[in-house]
Amino acid sequence: MNDALRKLLANPRVWRGQVQAGDQGWQGLASGYPKLDQQLPGGGWPLNALTEILLEHYGTGELQLLMPALAHLSQPRDDAAEAGWIAWVAPPFEPYPPALQQWGVNLSRVLIVRPKKSAEVLWAAEQALSSGTCVAVLLWPSALDDVASRRLQLAAEKGQSWAIAFRSIKALSQPSAAALRIRLSAGDKGTDLGILKSRGGRPAIVRDYAG
Amino acid sequence: MLLLAPVADLDAPPLQRNANRRLWFCIYLPALPLEASGSAVDARAVFEERKGIRKILLANAEALAAGIRPGLSINAALALTPALCLEERSPRRETQVLKELAEWLEKFTSFVCIEAPSLLLLEIAGSLKLFGGLKVLRQRIVSGLEGQGFQATTAIAPTPLAATWLARAGRKVCILDARNLNAKLGPLPLSCLDWPDSVAASLRGMGVSCIGEALRLPRQGFTKRFGAARLLELDRALGRLPDPRANYRVPERFSANCDLYEEQSDSVLLLHACQELLIRLERFLLARQMAVQHVRFSFFHLQAPATHLALGCVQADRAVQHWFDLLKIKFDRLGLPAPVIAIQLRAGQTQRFSAETDILPFNKQAKRQNRLSIAHLAERLSARIGDGSVHGITTVAEHRPQYAWRRQGVFGDVPHCENVPGQRASHAPSRLLDEGQRNNSLELRRPLWMLEEPRLLVVEQGRPVCEGILQLLDGPERLETGWWDDDGIARDYFVARNPEGMHLWVYRNRNKESHSWFLHGIFG
Repeated sequence: MNDALRKLLANPRVWRGQVQAGDQGWQGLASGYPKLDQQLPGGGWPLNALTEILLEHYGTGELQLLMPALAHLSQPRDDAAEAGWIAWVAPPFEPYPPALQQWGVNLSRVLIVRPKKSAEVLWAAEQALSSGTCVAVLLWPSALDDVASRRLQLAAEKGQSWAIAFRSIKALSQPSAAALRIRLSAGDKGTDLGILKSRGGRPAIVRDYAG
Repeated sequence: MLLLAPVADLDAPPLQRNANRRLWFCIYLPALPLEASGSAVDARAVFEERKGIRKILLANAEALAAGIRPGLSINAALALTPALCLEERSPRRETQVLKELAEWLEKFTSFVCIEAPSLLLLEIAGSLKLFGGLKVLRQRIVSGLEGQGFQATTAIAPTPLAATWLARAGRKVCILDARNLNAKLGPLPLSCLDWPDSVAASLRGMGVSCIGEALRLPRQGFTKRFGAARLLELDRALGRLPDPRANYRVPERFSANCDLYEEQSDSVLLLHACQELLIRLERFLLARQMAVQHVRFSFFHLQAPATHLALGCVQADRAVQHWFDLLKIKFDRLGLPAPVIAIQLRAGQTQRFSAETDILPFNKQAKRQNRLSIAHLAERLSARIGDGSVHGITTVAEHRPQYAWRRQGVFGDVPHCENVPGQRASHAPSRLLDEGQRNNSLELRRPLWMLEEPRLLVVEQGRPVCEGILQLLDGPERLETGWWDDDGIARDYFVARNPEGMHLWVYRNRNKESHSWFLHGIFG
């Protein structure tokens, strides 16, 4: 009986709701927020993939959410390779270096790209992702359809980079190829975080993720 | 005999002690006027006007086969071959060709000098080891000249004049020891000296037909008849007197033109012409160990003003492929208003080329590639979306928040965080410190988003409004500084929260006249 069960479970077509991706063989990048890490498959951010963050307003803790992970990525790593670059494509305001430094981000690895047209945002992000030099690419596209998100996802896989797209909450109903979709909203205490879609994981809600 | 003592001065001076230290490679281009004329038509010849008579100076193989001989008057030549293409000799163009050749030859030696009208001298003693010996070096120079379509005779000797004479005489010899000069130069005809016809004629009248015989003449008498300069010339050729030469110094800015002969609008063809120009640029830079950061293409039209296309790269470079890639990205979007008749390439200020030694591919290869490609990525991005749109950022030690940071070039002075063990040790405490600061200095919290310009906020019931009345969470942090330049501030900064849940960084001016509120940053 046990053997038969094991055989059945080994079948890739069987999805087990209770088991998170912890034993699926890949390791996520710790987000620095234990509440969130518990809910993410692999125990952290899915690298080499596209993450979408949906928000109503800028300033609802969307950068704070990423800072510990970005700070970690921007520091020299233990192997011989140099620290990778973090590209910011079309940020809506000026990223403020003193604050980035307070969070521990290595400023000498920050690249700001300000395209003038909206089509160039996706082009620049795709170039940065697939170049293999950027460990993370943050982008603020004015629009992102499912074809574009698929392209970003493929570019992230190709360049082994982490793509983070910030989008309006209005894009909630649009299909997306992102490996992880997160919705941020202001809660009573802090920022609430909803995992809408996560590859290999389940939707969840994290109240006041920083608390 | 004592009375004749001054005569002793006129004895031939002994061989110079360091006569063998240098080795001169002479390139003689007998057909330069023809080769410089450029156009490639079947039968062509170059003529020169002398005493009012225009005579053929040189003719190419097709013209020679048709019976055109140097010295023929051009009327006779045209009668022989009506289809003959005639061009007047242009010394300006010949000098230009010699200069370009000298630039190319600088890849073999650092010392090239141009001897007008058709000679180039290279000092190669220092280059032998690098190029793997005399034979290989000579082979490379000769085949390079042939590849560029030049017919050349070359000779090698320890003195520049000896090499010149040997090359002019068409002797492909190589003399390494200055003691052999006397014997080898002796049989050369007087014509290779390039002395005036009158001198040569009077020497011939004396029964002197070769250099060896001229050397045998009494030195005093020779000086009286032909001047001391000619005697000194002979002495220099034989290595008895020093013969310093001036090194040709090419201009440090590159500029080259490409004439298209007819109007072109085909982009493939134009790009090809641009590539040719870039190849010349690379050659120019290679000879100088230089690189450039900016180049500018100008496309000239017959009916419209020229179109300019500027290219720049983050790190000074000289590789053709690299510049060509950038050119292609921009060229597609250029949109030329009219067909092009000529292209010009001008390079910006040259910089020392900091070549990177190839690291042995054990474990650092990934790192090297990484650094190369960030420059390339930044270039690709700025080539398409414009300069100044791609940059890095850094902090500035300054209390005024708007001045506490600045943009910086991606590759200007980026400290590479090498992962050397010693440095890593110093990294660790600094990170700890960062975290410590982060925790301790909550009251000095800085927002991750800054507004380019502070935004004036409406005030309701004495409280600032930004999508709802703001609730002040933290503050004030008083910043009153910068009075010494005209942009001083006196502000109280607060951390505020609006009903939407956004955390904002706002300030109130403390000036007497205005107590208005401004939004300066957002805690992203």
